[in-house]
Amino acid sequence: MSKVAAAKSPSPLRAFWLKWRFHINVLLLLVPLGFMPKYFADAALFRGDTGIGERVAGEVKVGPWSLTLAEFRNEGPRPDPAGPMKFFNAALCDTCADQVKATYLRIGKPRSLRAAGVIFFGTPYRMGAALPVPERTPADAELWVTMEGWDGTLHQGFIPLSQASPATIAWLNKQGVKP
Amino acid sequence: MTLMRLTRACAALMLCAGFSTVALAHNPMCECKEIAGEQIQCTGGFSDGSGAPGVTLDVIGYDETILVPGKLGQDSTLTFKKPSAEFYVLFDAGPGHVVEIDQADIQPQ
Repeated sequence: MSKVAAAKSPSPLRAFWLKWRFHINVLLLLVPLGFMPKYFADAALFRGDTGIGERVAGEVKVGPWSLTLAEFRNEGPRPDPAGPMKFFNAALCDTCADQVKATYLRIGKPRSLRAAGVIFFGTPYRMGAALPVPERTPADAELWVTMEGWDGTLHQGFIPLSQASPATIAWLNKQGVKP
Repeated sequence: MTLMRLTRACAALMLCAGFSTVALAHNPMCECKEIAGEQIQCTGGFSDGSGAPGVTLDVIGYDETILVPGKLGQDSTLTFKKPSAEFYVLFDAGPGHVVEIDQADIQPQ
């Protein structure tokens, strides 16, 4: 008996794989198609084609000025080494865009301008801020906006957290009350 | 064998795709704890793992008077005597880059 004849013939599945593997690999091109809807939705969100955020919370009146506040994503805070972070976007009112120097966001009323919270980055038409959300934040907390004008004036306004981000309230309720 | 290699490559690719959206921010962080001798030790840093030597850390009373003006040392820590008045700690790395720690949130020894 020759050596070739003695070799064990491959299983039908293995034979199919050996014969068609090159052609089957074309199917890999279909994999990115599954990710495309999310990719284009994210691209539109980042470009601002779908507005300033996934969910517009509303207008916050801050003295003579105002801003439109939106949740960047309609979800609870994301984990971060510095604690859970919630991303908000905002757009200043048309008339105040060139009057406001800085905009800050904080949970609860700020004690001072130094402790006014996180600062918004970006253009007046689309700014973003990552707000730390302590796990023991009460569900009836308020989101305070502090605006500093180029002329040195300061104005404050607030919006209930439940209105600004129902997803964050749901997240807090899920966490339970922390001491 | 080939199938296994292909599966592994696909898994690695998907893992990379999953992590690609993670934002690389560096938010300020500060932690304070009570240590022996009625003292409080605060450690500052940033969420990207970097330290904060030389960054301002003030201990401020509820009446907004600065009780202990300080800067973090080379080891990104600052130790100070616990004030008798009500206070909070403000890690101040610049406007909008602050961390406030109320005295109630400082873990006792």
